Amino acid sequence: MRVKLKIGEEEKQFIERVSELSGQDVYKCYQCGRCSAGCPFAFEMDLLPNQIIRMVQMGLQDEVIHSKTLYLCASCFTCQSRCPKGIDLARLMEAIRLLIEPKGKDQFGPNDVPTKLANELPQQVLVAVYRKFSK
Amino acid sequence: MKLHYYPGCTLKEKTTNLDDSTRAAMEVLGYELVEPENWTCCGAEFPLTEEKIVGLAAPTRILRQVELEGGDKVVTTCAFCFNVLKRTNEALLKDPLKHKRINAYLRDDIKIDPLTKKKTTDFAEYHETVWVLHLMEFIKYQIGYDKVKSHIKRDLANLKVAPYYGCRLLRPAGEVGIDIPDDPHIFEEFLENIGCEVVDFPFKQECCGSYISVSLPDAASEASYQILRSARYCGADMLALSCPLCYYNLDRRQDRIKERFFDFTGMPILFFTQLLALALGVDEKVLGLDQHYYDPRPVLSKMHKTEVVS
Repeated sequence: MRVKLKIGEEEKQFIERVSELSGQDVYKCYQCGRCSAGCPFAFEMDLLPNQIIRMVQMGLQDEVIHSKTLYLCASCFTCQSRCPKGIDLARLMEAIRLLIEPKGKDQFGPNDVPTKLANELPQQVLVAVYRKFSK
Repeated sequence: MKLHYYPGCTLKEKTTNLDDSTRAAMEVLGYELVEPENWTCCGAEFPLTEEKIVGLAAPTRILRQVELEGGDKVVTTCAFCFNVLKRTNEALLKDPLKHKRINAYLRDDIKIDPLTKKKTTDFAEYHETVWVLHLMEFIKYQIGYDKVKSHIKRDLANLKVAPYYGCRLLRPAGEVGIDIPDDPHIFEEFLENIGCEVVDFPFKQECCGSYISVSLPDAASEASYQILRSARYCGADMLALSCPLCYYNLDRRQDRIKERFFDFTGMPILFFTQLLALALGVDEKVLGLDQHYYDPRPVLSKMHKTEVVS
């Protein structure tokens, strides 16, 4: 993948905001890839978790916020428990989702619940998915 | 003995079998489970960013209620509730500023009677005195396996059970963890001590799809399929778990997995409390075994032949 690097004011601000919201130092990552190796949803992702963190380091805002990886993270913390540098990637994903929330629409809102399933879904799954994917 | 017990929202409606079996089993062991008054939903997800700190108010309110009622510990069986309550407790303990902010939110709980203008409830802070425990931890550290063994009425030795932890009981590492996240044993110990044959399988700590099962059902059913297939290959008759959401993904969505994967044959999924209650000789009718999508009764009938040991 070929990308053009440019770290201007906007990109710096993006990296700063992500670090501040998530409380994680993104520059700690040295790309060992254990997060992507263990991720149970890596097979569906367009950008792997380690690529996301690398792109945040390089300030590639557009690539990151349009990735569907953000909405595949189930916060299972497999990556967090395996990261040799102790980075909590689930927090990072949540921080990026939070950053783009004001601009975008609900990724999953009450209208998206399939009617066939509405009666049998456990309450906790709805509470959890709204907390994660809707404004 | 009275024990504070937080059931959580799903146990009251969709998975009453988990709630009923917990109560029945704990009654045999001599505990009366008391719910904190006016409990609410815990929020299901621990807020991961500092900006969503208000998400901590609901779990703190539950913990404060336990404290006000004089409890020093609260037991949960739902893995999500356990995760949220425990992480909240830890977060408040670690960060005094956060603790102060959350206590300030709780100030809104003061109710004023509109007619007499008098306060009907007083403000109370949460003082961090409650210990959040998962039932499996409570059985291991507070009751002890010896006591559980002395109450066992049924022999489950014919059942090959694979313990499935999922994510919420073990991770995030260092914050929650009823055991070591990468090499847990507490579930195996529990199953061994109630007399089951334990089947180890490599997918016991993998995520089943969690809440992704509503937003992206295909991705979740693939993850669930991997878990069930792995357990089947390792020779398990059934899977035991503790989370109502894993139960939904692994049991109730087996129809979807069957549609997508032709080699999938299905597998009964039981809550660990159902197995505990069975071992303790509780009447099967109480356990809600008819609520499962994959009926576990044919597999459990293996056990009936050897009923009543002592």
